[in-house]
Amino acid sequence: MDREKKLREKARELLESKEVDLVIGYGWTRYGKRVAPVFITRPEDVDRLIWNPMCVNNLTLYITRKYPDVKAMGRPAVVVKGCDAKTVNVLIQEGQLKREDVVLLGIPCEGVVYRQELYDGEVTKENVSPKCVVCDVKNPPLYDHLIGEKVEEGSGFEGARNIYQEIEELDKKPEGERWAFWMEHFERCIRCYACRQICPLCYCERCIAEKNMPQWIDTSAHGRGNVAWNLKRAMDLAGRCVFCGECERACPVNIPLNLINQKLSMVVEESFNHRPGYESEGHPPLIVYSLEDREDFIR
Amino acid sequence: MEEKGWEPRIVAFVCNWCTYAGADLAGTSRLEYRPEVRIIKLPCTGRIDPLFIIKAFEKGADGVLVSGCHPGDCHYTSGNYHARRRWIVFRELLKFAGIDLRRVHFSWVSASEALKWRDLINEVIETVRSAGPFEAYRRLNP
Amino acid sequence: MARIGVFVCQCGNNIASTVDTQKVAEEMKKIPGVVYTQDYKFMCSAVGQELLKKVVKEHRLDGIVVAACSPHMHEKTFRKACEAAGLNPYRCEIANIREQCSWVHHDKTKKTGTLKSTDLTRMTIERLKKNKPLKTINIPLKKKALVIGGGIAGIQAALDIAESGYEVILVEKEPSIGGHMAQLSETFPTMDCSQCILTPKMVELSMHEKVRLLTYSEVEKVEGYIGNFRVQIRKKAKSVIEDLCTGCGECIEKCPFKADSEFEVMKGHKRKVIYVPFPQAVPNIPVIDREHCPKFLKDKCGICAKVCGPKAIDYSQQDEIITEEVGAIVVATGYDLMPVESFGEYGYGRIKDVVSGLYFERLASASGPTGGEIRRPSDGKVPETVVFIQCVGSRDPKRGVPYCSKICCMYSAKHTMLYKHKVHHGQAYVFYMDIRSGGKRYDEFVRRAIEEEGAVYLRGRVSSVYERDGKVIVEGADTLSGTQVEIEADMVVLATAIVPRKGAKELAQRLGISYDTYGFYNESHPKLRPVETNTAGIFLAGTCQGPMDIPDSVAQGSAAASKVISLFSREDLVREPILAEVDERVCNACWDCYYACPYSAIEQHPLKGRDGSIVRWVARVNEGACQGCGVCVAACRSKAIDLKGYTDEQVYAAINALV
Repeated sequence: MDREKKLREKARELLESKEVDLVIGYGWTRYGKRVAPVFITRPEDVDRLIWNPMCVNNLTLYITRKYPDVKAMGRPAVVVKGCDAKTVNVLIQEGQLKREDVVLLGIPCEGVVYRQELYDGEVTKENVSPKCVVCDVKNPPLYDHLIGEKVEEGSGFEGARNIYQEIEELDKKPEGERWAFWMEHFERCIRCYACRQICPLCYCERCIAEKNMPQWIDTSAHGRGNVAWNLKRAMDLAGRCVFCGECERACPVNIPLNLINQKLSMVVEESFNHRPGYESEGHPPLIVYSLEDREDFIR
Repeated sequence: MEEKGWEPRIVAFVCNWCTYAGADLAGTSRLEYRPEVRIIKLPCTGRIDPLFIIKAFEKGADGVLVSGCHPGDCHYTSGNYHARRRWIVFRELLKFAGIDLRRVHFSWVSASEALKWRDLINEVIETVRSAGPFEAYRRLNP
Repeated sequence: MARIGVFVCQCGNNIASTVDTQKVAEEMKKIPGVVYTQDYKFMCSAVGQELLKKVVKEHRLDGIVVAACSPHMHEKTFRKACEAAGLNPYRCEIANIREQCSWVHHDKTKKTGTLKSTDLTRMTIERLKKNKPLKTINIPLKKKALVIGGGIAGIQAALDIAESGYEVILVEKEPSIGGHMAQLSETFPTMDCSQCILTPKMVELSMHEKVRLLTYSEVEKVEGYIGNFRVQIRKKAKSVIEDLCTGCGECIEKCPFKADSEFEVMKGHKRKVIYVPFPQAVPNIPVIDREHCPKFLKDKCGICAKVCGPKAIDYSQQDEIITEEVGAIVVATGYDLMPVESFGEYGYGRIKDVVSGLYFERLASASGPTGGEIRRPSDGKVPETVVFIQCVGSRDPKRGVPYCSKICCMYSAKHTMLYKHKVHHGQAYVFYMDIRSGGKRYDEFVRRAIEEEGAVYLRGRVSSVYERDGKVIVEGADTLSGTQVEIEADMVVLATAIVPRKGAKELAQRLGISYDTYGFYNESHPKLRPVETNTAGIFLAGTCQGPMDIPDSVAQGSAAASKVISLFSREDLVREPILAEVDERVCNACWDCYYACPYSAIEQHPLKGRDGSIVRWVARVNEGACQGCGVCVAACRSKAIDLKGYTDEQVYAAINALV
């Protein structure tokens, strides 16, 4: 594939010129059926890099403070889709990264699959990732090297499940039903924290879930702690989440986390006119304020 | 659903400078209001974390009230603006999670608004009472 | 296990009439960690306090809860008593069972009150268990002040501080102090000459042994915090050695070159290229305007050096960077007037005889270019009719600013009087929106202008100003009589809006203080802390904060000075220990706290390894600047920051005790 070839060429060039010490990209797993992150340090290994609709991971995860070992490998280049590139903007906003610390290999993307096991050679409205259905960043908003030509923006997955529609429908239901909906999901939570581990914006040195004294969030996998955990995580991602969709994909018990995160994204956009990840200037909306913020709910 | 003789339990998180002083004035003025509220004093509404509210529900509160200085009056200039932003989002989150918003109240009460405080507490208690005991949340307890 | 004592106050009958205090005390005894409980008639009385002290000692208590009136009433009293008994004052907490219980729940069976008091006291006990002993913070203090701006507000502030015996550095951008007040002719409502009351103060300041005057200088950089600021000041090259110059003025006299005078406002009015802005300048030391001096432009002339007796001229002088350490800063940078050029409909720039209010001040000033005679700029004729237009730019949200410039009503009235005093047969007209003359003897002053000095006041806006046969025609509405008026004037004076000084925002950013949408500096509290900023140790005086007149500016100068003096009157800076604290081990350096803090009290601090290289960055709280609001704590996702006195553990314990 053309893009794949160009990607390998660029990776080789960067490694050979020592501009970077490491290229983080996608590669085949041992059995050649699934895609996983690969870390290429030698120019002769660049052919391991691949690009196809199974490349779902948000690889910016590996350039956060969560991965000191990756940091120790030197200056990285990271393959980013449009959605992933937005993460970089938020990381810059939050002082986690300087733009010059990373080389971004932006790759125009026409949609990835929701789960790799659903892929059968084609991205369809049945197997597409929900973020791709409403995607407006097929071409990365920031990059150092664009791999291949840009593609036309706009979604082509008519009839696919639309997250905003689902949120709207949920909004319309009576409170009791919404509560039941979420409790049914949250009760299943096994508190494995896969959502947190895969999220590039959940980079806390010590997660609030692991803070005792006081233990705000019960650690056992019970309704009480599960609700507190999921609400707190949603709240902390509000105005920051770039909808890479990784948390929902990683969740072993299929909690529809995209719904709750995107609901808050909608609230933040409506209320503060802020869409995370589109620029690196400014601050996350919940640490600033405007005198004009609405207060129709305050007595 | 409603138990006989049941009275709601309300936790009020208030700032030290405006609302707490307003509640004091209600006392000094011997105004009478319903007793089912327990106040927790913080320096500023900007200090109030959504976790406080979640924890209050966990501990059996049927409703919560968060109250501070009016916009422009914050002792720390902007703490209430920060709080307001946080509540806009947190309130929507609770609503989306299916929590009856009759249980969650926000207000500005200044140090001189003893009457407002009295009416507010009575109203909040009435509204929470109409929502009934928050059994649904308590059932989450292990 | 804790050893907590609980005292339940009856407050005479104030609490006891609706709360069974004895029962509350007994109930509290059941709580683990509570070793002593008692109810008592008046805990705040001397006897009550003695009781408290005695019990603390006898029972070796390590914390006490007083269930009584509001902590706003007697928290200090009880904490002091604890301290006297050898207990850390922050190990004492108050449960408010009077204002928030007995006085608002009138159930005479005492059931309601007792139940609620029990709850409130229990919550307080649980909270107390998590209280850490806290110590007030002492921060060393540099007892020297910096005043930025040498107008009347800055002069007043500097003089007051110096008079109290503290050292002051006054930095002024221009070659002389004096500010706008030095340009004015006479001042309302007393009509005393501006320079006559100002210049003695200027001289007093320059002679004061505690004052270091840095004119032609600007503040470049400010670091540090209250009590400990490090300031960098750029002293621009005057090209004159101050220590040698005697101020004889020979250089100015002989200098053959001229440039536009900033001080005289009017276009085309010249000063020499080596100059003092005005004759009474302080210090009376000239500077060379290097932008216009041929010696600097093309290395020609050099006359000033030749004529200077004491050899004070130094063409090679360089800008000097001065570093000073100060404990407090007073910002008094003053105002600018909105450029009149922005108001084309009033003919400014197009019609020579349309002038600004400040121009009129210079015209009327005895030391001005016409020696105090009112002569119009176009032909030097004495104007027989003068129209004054108020609110040019002020109260005009579309084209100017929405606020009222506050002084224009008064100075326009003054102008009509000055004009009438100098041109007896002349007629003054004033177009106004409202007359705002609040202030001591102010309204009487305006009445005098109208009733005794014959100024005609027309309530309405001017629609156009144009020239016809050597006259300036002013067309406008008189809304009170409902007619259109046309006035054949000889001169028109525009009262333009007060706006922040050019560069005000940049200076604010250097100082770390906040400003409003226009660029006026924000006070910490509009009513209760009018001269303080949100950055501890930085104070405001005069019009940098918003439009105000001379008495207000002077009052503010003194107010800011008194804040500085009271700060300096202590050995150390003593702060309440209710401060934020960072757990550096878990700080993510996301800087949410840094940006959310209203007081810029969070610092970005590098943690260094043994070899001196930066390992990582963490947030650190500047205890001098933190005010203890806790906004940072709620902003921190990982809870790496907490607020002493209101820690998460304390709040958690209180919520947990709800049951």
